[in-house]
Amino acid sequence: MFEIDYGDDGKIKCSGRLDASQCEKAQSFMDDIADTRTLDFSGLEYISSAGLGILLKTQKRLAESGAALKITNVNNHIYDVFRYSGFNAIFDIKAKEQ
Amino acid sequence: MHRQFARDYDSLAAIYEFAEEILAANEIGEAVRFPVHLAMEELFTNMVKYSPDTDGDIGVDVVVEGGAVTVTLTEDDVDEFDVTRPSGADTTSPLAERTPGGLGLHLLHNIVDKLEYDYHNRRSRVIFTKESG
Repeated sequence: MFEIDYGDDGKIKCSGRLDASQCEKAQSFMDDIADTRTLDFSGLEYISSAGLGILLKTQKRLAESGAALKITNVNNHIYDVFRYSGFNAIFDIKAKEQ
Repeated sequence: MHRQFARDYDSLAAIYEFAEEILAANEIGEAVRFPVHLAMEELFTNMVKYSPDTDGDIGVDVVVEGGAVTVTLTEDDVDEFDVTRPSGADTTSPLAERTPGGLGLHLLHNIVDKLEYDYHNRRSRVIFTKESG
């Protein structure tokens, strides 16, 4: 199960598991983002390369207009996935405080 | 334990539950469970994506022995696709030049301790092991 929606603070709250079966839902939401936004991953437990593909595609699209995705509250496992993928060089990523 | 899963991304939730039940019963910690689930997904989705002309189920075996988790994924009537070869993933270029191609195998190679591929009589078999600690 994966959920994505705007929180009261304007951040985009992601929760659950972003695997290949949830990409359509995630992509549909991301396609409507037009300015710089922060993704709050405090509730996100898991991400695979399918989810990374959506983040990368969105980041590339936003960069064309000078905007960007920022990602905060990333758990240790997802942080490792970002690091292995070199995403820490192309996203502003903040780990979850332990 | 062995189970067969339909060749569809919608099988991922059932695969997760199948593995999670075995890992939890064997008191495997989160530090091993996360990469095991990730490796299983990357391999399963790879099989779905790169063998579109077959509709046979994909077999999944999960064994826990001495704290190590070994998972085998098996599919029949498919072309050879050696997942142990270099992924070719680009993890260093500037954003404008990046593509997501090969990231799944790249992650797989980074998170498992042992990875084997066997292809015989159009049967493809991938075995990976994740050690605890």
